[in-house]
Parts: sequence; C-alpha cells; structure tokens
Amino acid sequence: MTAPTSVSFSAPQTACAESAASTAPLLSCRGLSKRFGGSSSTEGSVLASDNIDLDIHAGSIQALLGENGAGKSTLMSMLSGWLMPDSGAMYLHGTPLALGSPALAMRAGIGMVHQRFSLVEALTGAENLALADGGSVSVRRAEALAAQWGLVLDARRRVAEMSMGERQRLEILKLLSRDARILILDEPTSVLAPAEIAGLCETLRRLADQGRAIVLITHKLAEIADSADEVSVLRRGRMIARNIPRDPQLSTGWDMAELSRLMVGRDLSQTAPPPRQTGGEPVLSVRGLTGQGEPPAFSAANFDVARGEIFAIVGVAGNGQEDLAAVLGGVVSPAQGEITILGGRPDRAGFRSLVAYVPEDRHGTATVAELSLAENMLLSTTGSRGAIFSRGAGKRAAKAAIEALNVAATGPQTKARELSGGNLQKFILARELSKAAPLFVVEQPTQGLDVFAVSEVHAAIREAADTAAVVLVTGDPAEALALAGRVAVLYRGRVIGVVQADAPEAFERIGRLMAGLDGAGTTNLGHPKNGQPQLGQSESSTMGELK
Amino acid sequence: MMGLRFVLRPRHTSAPVRAAVSLFFALALAGLLGSLVFALAGASPAAAWRAMAEGALGSGYSLGEVLLKTAPLTLTGLAVALCCRLNLWNVGAEGQFVCGALAACFVGLFVSPGLPPFWGLPAALIAGAVGGAAWAFLPGLLKARLGVSEILTTLLLNYVAALFMEHLYYGPWRDPEGMGFPGTVELPQNVWLPMLFPADWGTRAHWGLPLALLLAVGLWLLLERTRWGFRARVLGQSPKAAAYAGFRAARITITALCLSGALAGLAGAGELLGVQHRIQDGLASGFGFAGIIVAFLARLNLLAVPFAAWFLGAILVGADQLQTDLRLPGAVVLALEAALLFGALLGEFLAANRVQIIGRTTKRFEQRHESCDENSGEDNHVA
Repeated sequence: MTAPTSVSFSAPQTACAESAASTAPLLSCRGLSKRFGGSSSTEGSVLASDNIDLDIHAGSIQALLGENGAGKSTLMSMLSGWLMPDSGAMYLHGTPLALGSPALAMRAGIGMVHQRFSLVEALTGAENLALADGGSVSVRRAEALAAQWGLVLDARRRVAEMSMGERQRLEILKLLSRDARILILDEPTSVLAPAEIAGLCETLRRLADQGRAIVLITHKLAEIADSADEVSVLRRGRMIARNIPRDPQLSTGWDMAELSRLMVGRDLSQTAPPPRQTGGEPVLSVRGLTGQGEPPAFSAANFDVARGEIFAIVGVAGNGQEDLAAVLGGVVSPAQGEITILGGRPDRAGFRSLVAYVPEDRHGTATVAELSLAENMLLSTTGSRGAIFSRGAGKRAAKAAIEALNVAATGPQTKARELSGGNLQKFILARELSKAAPLFVVEQPTQGLDVFAVSEVHAAIREAADTAAVVLVTGDPAEALALAGRVAVLYRGRVIGVVQADAPEAFERIGRLMAGLDGAGTTNLGHPKNGQPQLGQSESSTMGELK
Repeated sequence: MMGLRFVLRPRHTSAPVRAAVSLFFALALAGLLGSLVFALAGASPAAAWRAMAEGALGSGYSLGEVLLKTAPLTLTGLAVALCCRLNLWNVGAEGQFVCGALAACFVGLFVSPGLPPFWGLPAALIAGAVGGAAWAFLPGLLKARLGVSEILTTLLLNYVAALFMEHLYYGPWRDPEGMGFPGTVELPQNVWLPMLFPADWGTRAHWGLPLALLLAVGLWLLLERTRWGFRARVLGQSPKAAAYAGFRAARITITALCLSGALAGLAGAGELLGVQHRIQDGLASGFGFAGIIVAFLARLNLLAVPFAAWFLGAILVGADQLQTDLRLPGAVVLALEAALLFGALLGEFLAANRVQIIGRTTKRFEQRHESCDENSGEDNHVA
C-alpha cells in the first residue's frame, strides 16, 4: 500500500463512507469461529474460537487477556491473516475484509509481532528491515525510521547480537515501515526485563497517540494495569468480556480479582505456602563454573545449595541460564570449574543418579513425542537393567508417576505428544521426583502453562525440596520469589547479585539486576541462611500476577 | 478470477488407515507412471502389465525366482530401514553388499580350504557380515565424530567398492582358466548356500531367504525389546532427548551403521554363496539401491520389509518378461522402481496430509476492500 499522502481518489465508494466516523472501530469482527482438527463437532476437534465479536479502536491499546489455550493467539492469527476463520466476518472501517494471507493483512494495515520473532539472525537490523518492506538496504534510512518513531535501535548490528528488547523494536519497526495501523503483539513482555517492559509501554503509548490501534496478547494482569486502555477477556475460545474500558477510579484500572475470575472461570486460592529457607545438609557446591563457547555462556559462577532449600537462578532469556542449567543437569560438561555433589565430583553416570533434571524443552528434550509414557519413563530413570528393555517396569513406573501427580492421561501407553503441556510437565516432574535424587534442577517449569497447572507444578517443586536441594532456573522473578529462599541473578553470564527473598523490595532489586542496572552487588555469595522458615515477601512482589 | 489453490491440512487418522492410504497411493502412482512409461516405449500398458504378472507369478519357476530376489532385497531393505529409524541415511547398501560378497569370497577361496568342511559356509557368511559392517564403519565414524554427512560418504563409497571388486576379478583373483571372461574361480561347493527346495522343482531359491526372514524378526526384537534398541529409537526421534538421557549418541550411531552394513554385506554374501558362486560382472545388480525402495514401501516397519521385498522382487522378475515378450528396454525396470519410490513417498505425504483444492472466490473481496482501505486512509488523513 502506498502512503496515505500520495493517494488521491476520484470516486469514493459509498460503502466506505461510514468509516470516517471517529467513534467507529478501526477493525471489528463478528461471529468469528475457528475449529481445529475436524470439520464438525467430531471427537478430538477443538473449537479454538467460538463466535467471537471484538472491536479494535484507533488510538487505543487493547489488552486481550486469557489463559494459555484460551484462544488468544488463534483469534489474532485470524485478524492478521495467518489463519482463515471457518465462519464469521471482519470489517475494516465497516467494510467487509477477507484476509487470505499475512501479506494481504499487511496491505490492509494489520501486522503482528509473534512471540517468536521472525528475524534473520545473520543479517543486520537494516537488512532485516529491507527484507520486510522491499526497500533498499540503508542504515541511514533504518535509523531515520527508528528515530521517527522514537525507537532505540542500532541498525548496523546483526540481529544475533541484539538484545530481546532490541529485536522486538526491530519487529515493530518492520510493521511501521509498512505503515501498519493495527499492531498486534503476542506476549510481548515474556522476553523482556522489567526495565525494557517500561520502554515498550512508552513506545506503544506513543503509537496509540498517533492514531494507531495496539492489541496486546497477554496472560499477565500486572502488565495491563500500566499500559492498556481497554481489556477483553477470552476463556476457552469464547469472548467472556469485551472492550471493558479503564476505570479511572481504580489505580490499577480494573478490578484485578474480577478480571482474574473472568479469565479463569474459577476462584484461585492465593494462599501459597511461604518459600523455603531452611538450610540442611550441603548438597551442591559450584566453584568457578564456566560454560562452553566463546565467549562462555556463563562464567565464574559460585554458589552452594543445601538440602531442603530452593535456590533460584533468574535472568532474561539469553543471559546464560539455559547453559548453566544444562551443565548442572549433567547434559553438557563445563569448560572450567567444579561441581561438587554430596562431597564428590560426579562423572556421567553420577549425574544420572544424583541429579534429577527437568529441562525447559518438555516436548523435544525431556520426552520423546512419539513414544509412550512407559517408554518416556525409562528415558532418565533406570527402570530396567540389563540388555532386555523391560516394558513392564516402564509401565509400572509410569502408572505410579501418573498417579503421584494426578496426570490426566489414559494410561502408560498414552503417547507423550497426546498430553497437554501442563500434564506433560507434571509427568516429567513425577518421573524426576521418583528418582529421589539429592539434587533437583528445574528449568522454566511453568512456561506456557495455565494457572492451575502452575500451582500444581509449584507444589511439586516444593515437595521436591522436602528431600532434595532444588535449583530453580527461571526467567520469571515472581516465580523465583514465590518458591525460592535466595534468588541469584545472571546477567550476561555472570551472577551479578543474590537477593534474599524476604529482603525488602526484593522484586524491584531483582528486576534492576536482570536489566543490568544494578550490578554492584556481590558476585560471590554466602551459604544458605540457617534457621527457621521465614515468611516471604513474595505475595506483595508478584504485583497481582496470577500464580 | 477463478484460480485453484491447494491447501494442506494435517490428517488425524489411526496408523492402519495411514498405512492403507500410503500403500494405495504408492501402488496407484506406480501403476499410473508405469503405464505412461510403457506407452512411451510403444507398448500397450494392459499387455505390459499382463506380461509382468505372468512373468512373475505365472509358473513355479518364476515364483521361485521371485523368492530368490526376496532374500537380498529383504536384507538391504532392513539395512536401509534400520538406519532410517535412527534418522540416518545409509545409501551405501550397494557398496556394503559388494564388500560383503568380497569378504565371503575371500573366505570361500582362501580360508575355507583350511577349515573343516562344515565350517566353510558359516565362516563365509560371517565374513560377509563383517565385510559389510567394515565398509559402513568409516561413514559411521565420520558422522559420529566429525559430523560428516553419512549420505555423501556412504554414497561415494559405493563406487570405491565397485571399482575395488572389478580390480579383484580382473586382476589378482581372476580365474586363469576363465576363457577370457573376467571373474574368480568357482567357490568350493561346501560354502554354497543349500537349495531351499528339491532340485527337481527347478527353482534356485536358497537358504538365504529363511535367514533373511529370521533376521527381520531379530532386528525387530532388537529395536523394540532391547535397551540398545530403545536408545536407538530415542536418538532417532530426538537427539536432544538422547543427550538429556545421557545416551552415547556417537556409539549408537556407529553401531547402527555397522549393523546396517552387516545386513547389506550378508545380502551380498548370500547372493555370492547362493546364486553366483563366483565373483563376476553383474554381481551387484542394484540390490543395495533397491533396498531404499523396499524400506519405504514397508514404511520403515521392519516386519513389513520381507513383504515389500517380495513385492519388489515380483516386479523385477516380471519386468524381465517385458524384455523378452514385448522387447521393451531393460531400463524400464529402473523407471518402474522410481515410480514405486515416488509413489511410496507421495503416499506417505498424503497419508499425513489432506489436500484441499479451493477455488479463488475471495479475490474480488480483497480487491474491493483494498480500494476502500486506501480511500478511508485518505479520509482519515484529511480529517
């Protein structure tokens, strides 16, 4: 589409006349439905969008709230041309709109920033921009464009070297360069540090003030309080509440308890047990641990974790915690440094028996999708010995695991891919718990799970800490504070600080450390605090986010 | 503005249905392309198919010939299928077949005379397996340690093996009394694989066939019922999961390729000890490459491999009849084999996805909305 300034029309069509009204929505949809996996209401098919109405207004930031699996992404994918609705209609300025592809949506002015960015990592910012809008590769043009929208971006840098925030700004710029007037952002804050989130909110506000419409897909209540003008809530494919405006009487804009009830459909008990802080027998001791790679993904990490304690390592994605977790899990060997477990330096087999490891990637690493739960059970446990593969042992163990954590699966013969994310994660946790290893390493345990699964997973991690030393690696400071007694922050591969969960303003400190704003803290850290469990401050610091 | 657009949708069906769909398309496409090839070669497709059916199934002799081909095809099919289950592409079964035959021949010619007569055959067979495994070891090592693509190494080693075999039967191993024909001396009878049926039945089928069937079952047991097989399957489906579980991926990869090579080598040894009885031109007549087709016709199901091998064997034997009856060129067989492979792959694809053809009826909408869109853009701008 050409820029509005260069367009002139001789005969405006009557169908478009009503769109000039300023109160009319920019984009609206009526009765949108989308079913996956079957043409009718057959077994196994899912109605991801059920007769959905929605209005998107120019100049407004709309939050689309819903649990995982509520149908947020499906709806937005239909609006941005990635999916075709089975039925229903969309209107742009009141005119029927049929979108067959993202390219057509883009021409209609609708663009989407996906959770996983679609950037070419080997190319520079300017090159990615040229790739998107078909223009010439020009750093000056890219930087002028970035300056025009007030976005901080070094267009000379390759995407691989950019921070997540910078990549996101580049994605937004890609849409703006093609004059998108409706910007849809899918979980935009999930990859950002708290400080970057503030920057994103400012950017979005600026764009909205210029008459663009912004849609934020999120499941975090805390975020909408700062940024949104209106909220719509999706639950199980249905639009539960539509275009609720901000209530100026409330400091948070909306009654958060009410929104969370709308989102979940049930009341959540907010009384989680306090984080554990008792120090028992020392289990894990890490000295000078440095990862592989050049530069190493993490370096010179020192810490100790005792039995009965949950020790959290937090960091924004890409700061080295993924590699650190793999090294602690025994999957990758470190370049330097020592890991001591119960006074010994474990070898490959030692890691297998001493460490229970729940990796971030549930579907490809922790389990094999096409194998049964019985077979997946034997992946990391030694359920059968000798040359013959004991399917009976696997079946029994899988059955016990299914029962132990209440996994919704028909039986040990169920294939791993048939389980939902939450149930698969519970199965993995139950499998690793069954090893009764002295060290338990969990990585991003609740990513992408709905609130109920999150509470069950958290309970399982607490249970693990009854008998083991637990290392929790997460990108979510609220989760760390909800579970752990001490929280270590990784920034650019270094432990730049350790925060006691019960310290005042712990959440804010962790946020600053994650963003690299507050690196003066200790690099070396003390031993776990001995003494009775302390009541954590985590409730106040989770800022209304659902747990 | 009518145009056609193809949309793929994943198909959610049970495994048997998938297998049936896949097989149907494989046969349908092979039939279609085969008929086209016949027509292009100037023969009536109906007559050609009839001739093939008669040639493969029309007599006791031809049925025996099909069984004769089933044995090596089963073994090379297993070799390819085993590797594919581990996400490895062994396209070197042909070379491993040759090396197996060479090793068996070496034992038959130079070692077995010093052995008790009974041990000659087992020793030659074992040598065949070892020879094939040795030829696959190098690609396995390069893949596991250096990440070199096994597709390239196994493929290129085929030619090395073929040239080496030629060197041997033209050179040092050549029968001095061969009346000018290049080839080795005939092997002593005690290393021959015995005939499967009484001699007066007129078939040449030998004990390599039951051996191959036994190995199919054995390999299935290995993959499904042993810890090694479990690890191999995990590695094939998700290398990351194998690393997480602490399996030694390099070791499993090398072992699997060697095992695959051993199977192909056994096929070569069986062909030498059961049929040819000497190494000469034409020993490796594409059984290794045909193993790829067998594996995919069987959809990598090890227990289905013998059936697929029998089917391809019937095609090969039937196609011989085409040359004599209809005077079609011998290359027609290759075209048929290719059609079968494409059919199998397409069938697999169509079993996993449903293709919908959609007319482009939305085009006009798009155009209308575009003009509206620009127009309203103008409106906003003016306002």
